[in-house]
Order: sequence, then C-alpha cells, then structure tokens
Amino acid sequence: MGLHLMAESHAATPSENAPPNKALLDPKYGVGSWIWTAETHDQQLCRFWRSFEIPTGAKVVKARLRIAADDSYSLFLDGREIGRGGGWHTLTEYDMTLLLEPGLHTLGVEAFNTFKQAGVLAGLRIELTDGGTIEIASDQSWKVVPNTENRWVNRNRARGNWSPATVVAGFGLEPWPVKPAILKAPQIYPLVLEFWQTGWFQIMMLSLCAFVAAMCLRLMGKVAIQSNAQQVVQRERARIARDLHDDLTAGLTQLVLMGEVAQSTLPAGSEPRRRIDKVCEKARALSHSMNEIIWMVNSQRDSLHAFASYVCKYAETFLQPTPIRCRFNIEEAMPDLPCDMGMRRNLFLAVKEALNNAVRHSGATELVLDIHRQGLSIVVAMEDNGKGFDPSLADRERNGLSSMMQRATEAGGICSVISQPGAGCRVEFVVPLARTAPLHSNFLSRFWKRQAPLPARSHAPPTVSTPPVHPSSTTL
Amino acid sequence: MNPIGHGGLSAQPVIAHRCKIALVEDLPEIRDNLSQLIGTFPEFQCVCACASGEEALKKIPPAHPDVVLMDIFLPRMSGIECTSRLKVLLPDTRILILTASDDDEMVFPALEAGADGYLLKQAEPASLRTALLDLLKGGVPMTSGIARRVVDYFRSRAKSRDQIVHLTPREKELLVLLSKGYSNKEIAGNLSLSVETIHGHLKNIYQKMHVRSRAEAVAKYMSAENK
Repeated sequence: MGLHLMAESHAATPSENAPPNKALLDPKYGVGSWIWTAETHDQQLCRFWRSFEIPTGAKVVKARLRIAADDSYSLFLDGREIGRGGGWHTLTEYDMTLLLEPGLHTLGVEAFNTFKQAGVLAGLRIELTDGGTIEIASDQSWKVVPNTENRWVNRNRARGNWSPATVVAGFGLEPWPVKPAILKAPQIYPLVLEFWQTGWFQIMMLSLCAFVAAMCLRLMGKVAIQSNAQQVVQRERARIARDLHDDLTAGLTQLVLMGEVAQSTLPAGSEPRRRIDKVCEKARALSHSMNEIIWMVNSQRDSLHAFASYVCKYAETFLQPTPIRCRFNIEEAMPDLPCDMGMRRNLFLAVKEALNNAVRHSGATELVLDIHRQGLSIVVAMEDNGKGFDPSLADRERNGLSSMMQRATEAGGICSVISQPGAGCRVEFVVPLARTAPLHSNFLSRFWKRQAPLPARSHAPPTVSTPPVHPSSTTL
Repeated sequence: MNPIGHGGLSAQPVIAHRCKIALVEDLPEIRDNLSQLIGTFPEFQCVCACASGEEALKKIPPAHPDVVLMDIFLPRMSGIECTSRLKVLLPDTRILILTASDDDEMVFPALEAGADGYLLKQAEPASLRTALLDLLKGGVPMTSGIARRVVDYFRSRAKSRDQIVHLTPREKELLVLLSKGYSNKEIAGNLSLSVETIHGHLKNIYQKMHVRSRAEAVAKYMSAENK
C-alpha cells in the first residue's frame, strides 16, 4: 500500500495541488466516484481533464481504463480520441497498455447530459514492471474545462480558471445504484505515423520551405536593390554627361567661335592675332578632351558597339595627319554586349597609347585595327607594317609599353606585343566582358566562381608570360 | 576662279553669287559668331539664323537656302525632327547637323532622319569652309563609322521584313570598303570608278535611308494639315 501511495503522489503534478486521494478505485470495478460540475442541467456539455505522469524508467505492464457516463462521453488520451460511448449500466474497458510510455499524459472526457442527473464515472489502473501501481479515479482531482477552451485535449497543463470537478455520488449509490456490467473495448494500438506524418518531418519541411522562401525574398531584394542602385548610377552618369555637354562643351564652343571671329577682324600675322589663335587652339583641345570625358561618363555608351565605333573614330582622326593609313577589321554583326565604364575607359586609353607608339616609332604606312569577340572576351588588336623591334630589348618606360600594360591590367585583361625587327608590330589587348553582367556580384556568382573559376577580371594576372609561339614576342 | 562647282543632284546651278546658308542654333553666342564667321567666307552668306525648330520651319523655306546648318539639341522640337520636316519642304537643300561632338551614336539618328552629313562646331574656320565647299561640289560625307552603321541599318531593316529599299551589290561593296577605312580616292582606284561616281552612289545610299523617315514626315504633315 505504501508503494501504491508513493506512485499516486508521484502521478499528481505539482501544479494541481490535488489533495491526497482517499477515495481511490473501487477494488472490484476499478472506478472512482461519479463526478460532474457544480451545476447540472439538461442539454449540458461538460469536459473533464486530468494529467498524470509515468515515472521515467518505468515500464507499463498493464493499463486499463473503465468509464461510464450519464448520458454519453468521448474519451481522449494525449489528445487522441480513444473511444466514445454512453449509458450508466455498462462500464467500458479500454486497454491502454500499448499507449502509455514514461512521461506526462493527459486524460480528457467530454460528456453530454440530455436531461436530469449527469455524471461521469472512470478509473485508470496502471501496473508497472517494478510492481508499482498508478491509480487514477474520477474524483475532485479532475478539472472541469470551460466550454470556450480550444484544443483543451492537447493541453498538458491545467489553466488557473479550470475548477475542480464535483463528486456527485459515490460508486454504486443513488442515483446510479446498479453495479454496471463490464464491456471490453477492442485493443487499442498506438498510432503508427508514417515519417511524413510525424511532427518533426513536417516542421522540417515547413522550415525548409520557409528558408527557401526567405532566400528567394532576400535574393529578389538584393537584385531589386542592386538594379535600383545601378539604375541610379546610370541615370546620374547620363545626367552628368548631359550637363557637361550642355554647359561646358557649349561654353567651350562659344569660346572657340568668339575667338575665331575676333581673330578674323585682326590683321594677319599680327601679335594679337597669333595670341588669339593660341587661345582658340587651347579651347579646341579642351573641347576634345571634354568630349572624351563625356563619352566615358555617358552610361548610354556602355556597349560594345559604341566602344568599337568610338575607337575607330578616334584612330581615324588621330592617324589622319600622319602617313599611316588606318584600316578597320571590325567583326560583322557583333552582338551589342554591355561594356562597363572602367573597362571601356582603360581599354580606350590603352589603344590610344598603342596608336601613339605606332605614330612615334613604327614608321609604318598602314595600321589595321581589329576588334572582335572571342568567347566572353573582347580582342582589340593593332597591327602595323612598320620597322618593328625586339620586345626583349625595348625600353619599356620610354616606349610607353608599361603604361599600355597597366591600362590593360586595370581593364582586367592582358596585353601582348608581338614584334620582330623589320616585321611590323602587333599589339593585342584581350579583356573579358564577363564582369559586366549586372547580377554577377552577389553570392550566386561567388557560388558560380567556386564551381567554375572563370578568369574574373579582378583576378587577372598582372603579367602573363605565355607568349604565342613566336621567337621574339613579349606578353606584358 | 569660282571654287564652287555644280552640286550633283542639287540641280541649282551655282552662279557667281554667294551660296545661301541658313542656321538653326538656340544659343545666341554660337549662332551670332557662327553666322559672322560664315560671313567672312567669300563664297557664303548667312541668309537666315533661327533659334528654334519652329522658327526654322517658318523662316527657312521662303529663304530657299542651299545649305542648312542644324543643331541637334534644340528646345522643344529637336534638330532631328526639324531636319525630317525641312527635308519634305526643301528636298534639294542639303542639311548638315551641327554638333559639338562627333559621337556616331549622336549623329546617326540625324542622318537617318534626312541629314546629309555633319559638321563639328569647333572646327577650324578653314576646315569648316572646306567641308561646306565639298558638300556643294557634290561630296557626300561618309566616315567608316557611319558606313558601318549604314550597313547595320539595312541589315536590321532586311531582318524585320520591312518594306525597304535594298542596297545594290555595288553600294554594299562601297560601304564595306568605306567601313574598313578606305578613302573615296582609294576606292575609286580599286574599283576603277571616278570619285564623282562614288559620290553618286553615296548620295543614293543616303536617299534610300531617308525613304522611310521622309514617308513618316509626310504622313505627319498630312495629319497636321487636316486638323
């Protein structure tokens, strides 16, 4: 008996403060007392709740619950409906042996009274392997759950406003004097959950979905912000280009024209005329530089076509006063890929340097400017028919080779010079276009780069010493 | 000792009097100085200077100039729009776009709209004069960049199955050589043609390019007059 009491006191959760039960199970029928709420009326729905604990380490040998109700009941264990029935003449016995594991469990009974007397009679007897017993009888340790409470069968803690049940009659006493018959319900098996029905799996799937959705949102947000920022930058660049054009270029043009008109009023060969001539010259040169700056800044020129056309125009104009004839070999129907400002600028400056070198040193009569696409790179090559030189002996500083190399590196590409004394010279710039794609700077591209290390422009080697098969060539 | 020859397709015989030039430019300093500068050339006179496209459409047709110098960036009606309208009213007048930068991207739409070439505003007076004289002699300006754009233009038109005028093989050949950087003289030598023949071809190419914009401009005029 001592053991029995110990087990029972263990079962009562501390929060319930249930007084030690005197009226435990009826030894023969294994039930407690008839309980109900304080009031009884017709058409009344009443819910009873009770929690109990099976000590850890204990194993259930046998667990059976007997229940009767006036008029009817539904029985829940741990939120699962075990069975339903009615009538006070029969006690239904449910075998719960397979359902009870160590830990906290809850019993719930939803009873309905059609008219007059109402009551629920129940008793749970659990035998453990260590010989201990847990007995739970229907008595005032049960709580009455308000009908407004949702999901009450799933709760494992009673709320403060749940009042204790009222014992309305002892077992076998009026108004239910008859000792009931016992009816065994079929064996109840634990629910076998397929893995996709289990809570952890569903939670995992849900969190996976949430994660994917969050990543998508994050990515979209990034794309939006980035493209927005890019648009702002492009708009600003277009505006700056327009302002420079409208204000500075127009002003410089006025200056040139005013100078020309003033000059025409002065006698030829006079000192003031010579000076104004110089002013005009200077203003014209400024105007040229300004146009170059405007072209570089203008975001509407961030394309391969615009680049090719500008470089050709420059070469044509630059070589016009020289003995070098300029020929173009521009890839036909070249796709109009985007071409960002930094690359455009550096490549253009490199080409300028190369043309300058050709005029100063080559003594050529013809120069072919070749622009074509090679995979994801753009190739700009200048080949002259001049006297050539031995690149290994060339003074890089003096010949502007180093600045050409630096420009090519800044553009993210490489520069190679192939020449031989007496056999002309070919300067070639190969610059990847890849980084110009607007979305390539977020984590997707990092992922991509990890997968397939593309020659990212920022990683381009400053000097590559893989000269094409040629006896005397140098790759800068 | 008259340096001005006969102007090719512009059938007006150029006589001893000075050629008439009209100017459309919104900035007063540039307009005044440019007209004064043109006034110093013995072969030219500035007969009309307008500050806007609207003014140009009113004042230029009665003045019947030989050449119109047109700024691209005008308030309200753009120089491009004004060019295409003037070309309908004065088909024989040559229109040169005045520009501060020789960026093809900027110039090409104007050529497409009916302009016959372009001039840099800051050009030295001597080269300004040479360019004008060339134009009146029947020269047609076509740089390699413009030639490339023209080839692209006809290619894209052909793709869109537009009702277009096709280039003849000779014209195509000419454009390809020009786009490779050959000068008119070099091409004349290569193809055994005279420079004048080449000018004629180039003029035809321009005209084929203008067919569309002219049709559009005419349609615009018709609807405007019906209102």
